[in-house]
Amino acid sequence: MDSPAYISLKDVVFSRSGRRIFDGVSLDIPRGKITAIMGPSGTGKTTLLRLIGGQLRPDSGSVVVDGHEVPKLKRKALYSLREKMGMLFQSGALFTDLSVFENVAFPLRVHTKLPEDMIRDIVLMKLEAVGLRGARQLMPSELSGGMTRRVALARSIALDPELIMYDEPFAGQDPIAMGVLVKLIRDLNSSMGLTSVLVSHDVPESLSICHYACIISDGKVIGEGTPEELRAHPSEQVQQFLQGQPDGPVPFHYPAEGAAQDFGLSGGVS
Amino acid sequence: MIERIAAFGRLGLDIVSSFGRSGRFLAGVLGGVPRPATGFPLLLKQLYAVGVLSLAIIVVSGLFIGMVLGLQGYTILSDYGSEAAIGQMIALTLVRELGPVVTALLFAGRAGSALTAEIGLMKATEQLSSMEMMGVDPLRRVIAPRLWAGFIAMPVLAVIFSVVGIWGGMLVGVDWLGVFEGSFWGNMQSSVDFVDDVLNGVIKSVVFGFVCAWIAVYQGYDCVPTSAGISSATTKTVVYSSLAVLGLDFVLTAVMFGDF
Repeated sequence: MDSPAYISLKDVVFSRSGRRIFDGVSLDIPRGKITAIMGPSGTGKTTLLRLIGGQLRPDSGSVVVDGHEVPKLKRKALYSLREKMGMLFQSGALFTDLSVFENVAFPLRVHTKLPEDMIRDIVLMKLEAVGLRGARQLMPSELSGGMTRRVALARSIALDPELIMYDEPFAGQDPIAMGVLVKLIRDLNSSMGLTSVLVSHDVPESLSICHYACIISDGKVIGEGTPEELRAHPSEQVQQFLQGQPDGPVPFHYPAEGAAQDFGLSGGVS
Repeated sequence: MIERIAAFGRLGLDIVSSFGRSGRFLAGVLGGVPRPATGFPLLLKQLYAVGVLSLAIIVVSGLFIGMVLGLQGYTILSDYGSEAAIGQMIALTLVRELGPVVTALLFAGRAGSALTAEIGLMKATEQLSSMEMMGVDPLRRVIAPRLWAGFIAMPVLAVIFSVVGIWGGMLVGVDWLGVFEGSFWGNMQSSVDFVDDVLNGVIKSVVFGFVCAWIAVYQGYDCVPTSAGISSATTKTVVYSSLAVLGLDFVLTAVMFGDF
């Protein structure tokens, strides 16, 4: 990793409802690059984003974002730090009572005292960047899934953040929408010099745009490096995930009692 | 046996924990310094949603309850030749009790459930989380205007309910059953005290408004963000609010009107 770390997680332990989600995760996310965090469903990828954003606090360990120890920040400092962050939620999370224009204008109206004509120009520029300037008057209920995420993306870059986090941006998208999102993430990162964290289990799309990737499973980082390094990773579990093999270190069968016992076969199953 | 004791203990802990969470939640909502420039338009919008849009059900209910009071009152009082006292009976019943209590129950059913469902849905669709990640505190942006709107709207709605109820009682008592209009209004005027009756009724509705709005916004904010969770939270809002209103009504009545 050439760039200095913008986000640094050290020995993060996090449990919820008695279940340990992270068991000593350490990870450095480089500044100005796209980092993909991948892993099977339910491994806590979204939880990791919430830890970085300070919406959750780890049981132990440190989460440092741009030099700030996030779990130790006071409320005001945390909200101030969040103004430098953008997050694209899986559902888009647009405000359903506001139009596309007003959704993108929302952070500008709350955090700046810009005159209305300047807010208008900025909103239209952000919508132009995601190709939806013409959809400014639509309501969220009138948008397709892909359009919703593009509007949410425009909203998350409205304040020109330093960091943007994408939570499963490709989930449930058709190939065209997925292609558009891949292009947008790549272009925004290079044109705005953003640090991007991409959480996904869509391996080809994620590896095609990221500079650095890590795979999380069973509460630990099981592999990390550049996409090339990951593809050549010796771990069977990493290879099973990257190649989508149905059986391997992560077994196809959920642990169960013996089949003979369940099926009532006293002689065993041949 | 041990399991039952443990379950009872868990239930107790859950209840105490829920009270603690709702108290911290309330402190978070009320703790911030209000910003009139941004807060006032949000408050107006919520006043419209929880207050103005509740007017229809309040007015119609008030009218019918007043009319029923007129009919029942006339039937009972005429047995004693006291039908002229119908005005004071209707006014005291409405201003002291039925106005605040029935308005609060209707408010919990219409506006409270809507508030819970709206906030719960905002939570389920990650709108509250996205607000937090934009550096905007949802407690102050989303919850506080709704809580204040409920608090302000309830007493106004209760007064409207009582006024419409009295008018409904007059329609039945005076216009239909023929009670003398002068005694209807005169008895009412002489027996209804502004501080003891009207103001105490308004204080009741202020308390009910605060409790109903608190329960509604808390249930929405604390719900499990699924369709079943929102449904359960909405039901809890109506049930808890109704029980709280009826329980508090007894306590407030004992304090305000109990002569002991």
